[in-house]
Amino acid sequence: MSQTTVVTTAPEPKLWAGGRSPFNVSYGKMMIWFFLLSDALTFGALLIAYGTTRFFSSVWPDANEVFKSFPFMGEHNLPLVFVSLMTFILIMSSVTMVLAVHAGHYGDKKNVAKWLLWTIIGGICFLSCQAWEWTHLHGECNGLWGSFTDINTPVSQFRHFFGEHSLSYVDAHPLVAMQSTHNFFNYFFTITGFHGGHVTSGVIFNILILVNTVNGVYERKGHYEMVEKIGLYWHFVDLVWVFVFTCFYLL
Amino acid sequence: MSAHTQQDNIQYLYEGDQSKLYSGVLSHHSDVNSDESKGQVKLIWKIFWFLLVITLIEVVMGMKFSHLMPRGIANFLFLVLTLVKAGYIVKVFMHLGDEVKGFITTVLIPLVLFVWFIIAFLADGSFWLRMNDESPARHNSAIHQVTHE
Repeated sequence: MSQTTVVTTAPEPKLWAGGRSPFNVSYGKMMIWFFLLSDALTFGALLIAYGTTRFFSSVWPDANEVFKSFPFMGEHNLPLVFVSLMTFILIMSSVTMVLAVHAGHYGDKKNVAKWLLWTIIGGICFLSCQAWEWTHLHGECNGLWGSFTDINTPVSQFRHFFGEHSLSYVDAHPLVAMQSTHNFFNYFFTITGFHGGHVTSGVIFNILILVNTVNGVYERKGHYEMVEKIGLYWHFVDLVWVFVFTCFYLL
Repeated sequence: MSAHTQQDNIQYLYEGDQSKLYSGVLSHHSDVNSDESKGQVKLIWKIFWFLLVITLIEVVMGMKFSHLMPRGIANFLFLVLTLVKAGYIVKVFMHLGDEVKGFITTVLIPLVLFVWFIIAFLADGSFWLRMNDESPARHNSAIHQVTHE
């Protein structure tokens, strides 16, 4: 039925008969979407593995206890504040990226460069925050891949990661709690590390397209599609953080 | 098919300059200061504030309220808010909402797999927990002997 309404204007070839892109997107843009789809499945697999391990653990560290520190604030009781700052930085950099893409649609070279620069700064700020958080968790909480495996570890080393309601269980079954702590840190460093790797490569891509923009490469090409494609990647990284944030810090 | 008549065109489009296929929806603009452009920028900032407010609600809930309400309800609310956030990022920031319908469904349908993955794996996890807790082996295990020392 929709075809009959289309035909009224011009004898356009059928959508899938060839001669034009049925999806109205270029090859590169479609492929970055499919890449992101496969990347979503990879991140999904990691997060579902985390969820499965958590579901079969009797106790699990409480995010409000593990993530309660903030740089340069001696009083260590600000749960979720630091990670909220990280989330804010990433959302902000997503906005500057979409503004760069918008400027690209209008061929506005100066604004593309300006917003890309802000996006790069945002990405670097996020990575710095993550570096601080990793250093803090490793330095003060002794957490890293493969930590908390020695059965002679005293309970006091990991008891403070758990919420009040599960402390009696932790005291009764310290080894079960230690195993959970071990799993928690393994998943935390793997998933935030994989995400951080994406942010790092996103920052590198952004720097490359900023250089190209300033050099007028896209201006000569006549379009800023590359900014749009890297923008899709960058938003995807932000999107993954939305889910990492929920799974690790909220649920 | 009838495409034979246009073969030269197709070669040109698919092997030549890809920019000819560059999204018709988004690329045919010229004036940055037009009302259309300003409207789009306004929408971007509106979505930004919306995302920020949702994140703040999540954080305040996580810090103050999630321990006061039943865990199931809190988790359900967190997941709904997360999906709303994700939806707006994909729709507006990634411009998926501006693509043709066929492309939107092509991208979204494979994600339905997640529904199955999540349900299957989490159910398996809780089954293992129950099995472990009820297993006689667990209650006599070496783990517990070490535990009580």
